[in-house]
Amino acid sequence: MKWKHKHLLGIDQLNGEEIKILLEKGSQYRDWLEHSPKKLTRLSGYYLINLFFEASTRTRVSFEMAGKLLGMEVVNFTNELSSLNKGESFRDTVRTLARMKADALVIRHRSSGIPLYISQFLPFHIINAGDGIREHPTQALLDLLTMKRDGIDFTRNTVAIIGDILHSRVARSLSIGLKKLGSQVIFSGPPTLIPKGIEILEGQVVYPVEEAVRQADIIYLLRIQKERQEAGFFPSAKEYAHFFGLKEKPKGADGRWKKIMHPGPVNRGLEIGSSLIEEENSLIEEQVSCGLAIRMAVLETLILEGRMDE
Amino acid sequence: MNKVLIKNGTLIFPHSNQMREADVLIDDGVIIQIGSGINDRKAETINASGYLVGPGFINLHVHFREPGEEKKEDFFSGSRAAVKGGFTSVLCMPNTRPPIDSPLLISYLLNRAREVGFINIFPAAAISLGLEGKMMTDVGLLMNAGAKALSDDGKCVKDSRLLYRLMTYSQYFHMPLILHEEDVDIAGEGQVNEGSMAVKMGYRSLPKTAEDSMIARDLVLAHSTGANVHFTHLSTAFGVKLIEWFQSQGAKVSADVTPHHLLLDDQSVIKYGSQAKVKPPLRDKTDIVALKEGIQRGIIGILASDHAPHTDEDKECDFNEAAFGISNLEISVPLYVKALIDDQFINWLDFWKLLSFHPAQFLGLTKKGILEIGMDADISIIDPETHHEVKVNEFASKGKNCPFNGWQLKGWPVATIVKGKILMKDSQLEV
Repeated sequence: MKWKHKHLLGIDQLNGEEIKILLEKGSQYRDWLEHSPKKLTRLSGYYLINLFFEASTRTRVSFEMAGKLLGMEVVNFTNELSSLNKGESFRDTVRTLARMKADALVIRHRSSGIPLYISQFLPFHIINAGDGIREHPTQALLDLLTMKRDGIDFTRNTVAIIGDILHSRVARSLSIGLKKLGSQVIFSGPPTLIPKGIEILEGQVVYPVEEAVRQADIIYLLRIQKERQEAGFFPSAKEYAHFFGLKEKPKGADGRWKKIMHPGPVNRGLEIGSSLIEEENSLIEEQVSCGLAIRMAVLETLILEGRMDE
Repeated sequence: MNKVLIKNGTLIFPHSNQMREADVLIDDGVIIQIGSGINDRKAETINASGYLVGPGFINLHVHFREPGEEKKEDFFSGSRAAVKGGFTSVLCMPNTRPPIDSPLLISYLLNRAREVGFINIFPAAAISLGLEGKMMTDVGLLMNAGAKALSDDGKCVKDSRLLYRLMTYSQYFHMPLILHEEDVDIAGEGQVNEGSMAVKMGYRSLPKTAEDSMIARDLVLAHSTGANVHFTHLSTAFGVKLIEWFQSQGAKVSADVTPHHLLLDDQSVIKYGSQAKVKPPLRDKTDIVALKEGIQRGIIGILASDHAPHTDEDKECDFNEAAFGISNLEISVPLYVKALIDDQFINWLDFWKLLSFHPAQFLGLTKKGILEIGMDADISIIDPETHHEVKVNEFASKGKNCPFNGWQLKGWPVATIVKGKILMKDSQLEV
């Protein structure tokens, strides 16, 4: 089948079937990653520009690796060394890049809507690697892939997303993706960090956190940033950890441990107890490997099958 | 002896709107029987014939000054004043030295309360660290430690963002907020109400607008966040109107009034000098009428006295240097009787709602404020008829700062029972 999208700007643009196609392909790549030596030539001769205006380890490295594993040439652009620091406007910088005749551009930017904006005039496939507090589609896809490979039946699954929903592009993308696959979504955390208007994400807000954990099959903890405390959303790290952090391994009514996920990087002892990260019910490290696999699937699908006339 | 029998009193049931003559039997701190003709030879008996008997009065706003200013008041002297005043529970404001802004300090206060032991002393915790109005305190950890409410009393929370966030955040813990409203930029060095008295006396004024503008802001915040917000020591007619309108819009807001704001207007400053210097300042006669009508119509649901004891040195000085506040805990009940019952604004059932049932509900004290089998045996008994003179030098409180000295009042507490123990009988303190 032909992939009908030129870009991956958000999970919102995909339907359930399209998500499943990406997950299927991602799952195959995840298996393939276990073998060495690893080198494919499917995308050899294609150029990828990694354009990161915000700090990132996981996402940037995994896009770079995903491209290279598929045979692509990858160019990393970092803000500090760019002409933006010489006063060039964002638009001019991006238009300059446009003349480089690359094939795909991965972009992360602090401003919500930037990928959509540049997709309107850049002749590349644009992949959103996180825009402000709007979307982070490859994060949602890797989370869904991790769940799928853990044997989750999405139609009988409840995920509790806990923490700073207000500022989280991860929470937005993941909840949208989960709903498209038929899962139930619960939000919890400090009320200051749960936005008014959250109904649009079709999740249910459940207080307190303990109750949200009790109702869920999977506990998805969000990273809490120090700036949020400074901005007065909650009083202290100590209080956050006590009331909103996960301190104990959550057990289901059936006696089995509930799975724990986190997009990383983790604040140990804040949103999650330090000892929980490496427990057998934690999927946190597997999420990283699934991230690489799903980004391979996304690059391959967009470049080989994606429409260029969109 | 653990049993107490209260005979022949007129019982007040504020939660179910009833009054009737009956007896109350208490055992081991709990009400175990209510009915006519109860006899129990093992019980210590109080003859309450001609008296009103109801659930213990709860004062949402007192300053017991611990820790740091024990020369003004301490838990022992304050508790004795409470018993004399018919109060079985009090909520202590956290503007002490240091301010009560950490779970450790709450634990300290609760330990002190246990040591002194005879009444129920509940601590309120600060809204902001150090009462500085900048960073929110650890609301949840303070609640776990035993704080019953949050307040920066004595100061107004100037930072709108802090209060907006706090009103949202504190709902997770069902923690009520008590607000002292005073725009400090408008209030400045103001000493008294704005108006003719201030002009005549040449005192700088603390306009009603300083209070009303903050009430208006915080009503908007409370309405938008859904928070449970209480305006303490309300003093203006416009404040009553604002609160009424927001209540009609569904905001969960309440208010209390002190006895002095119901009985004295700003002209009293001329007569009583610094003894009548208080925050908010005594207002106008029209405000007094509006406050009384606000109580009558249920807009103001709680009576709380803002008992603010000071030493003579803090009060008997240059008016502009004198401390704000009135010591009134042991005379609040007869003062409220004078202001509200004598003038027929409310009846005794309403009186008990305002002083017991509503404050218990506000603080989430499910075993208090209700006269019923199984409830805590905190009981206030008052003599509605006999007049006595207010004698400040006989106050149990260390604070003798009180403009009501020499007033003839009726409606005095004659017996007070807390946790099933008789702490005052025949108007004599037993502690």
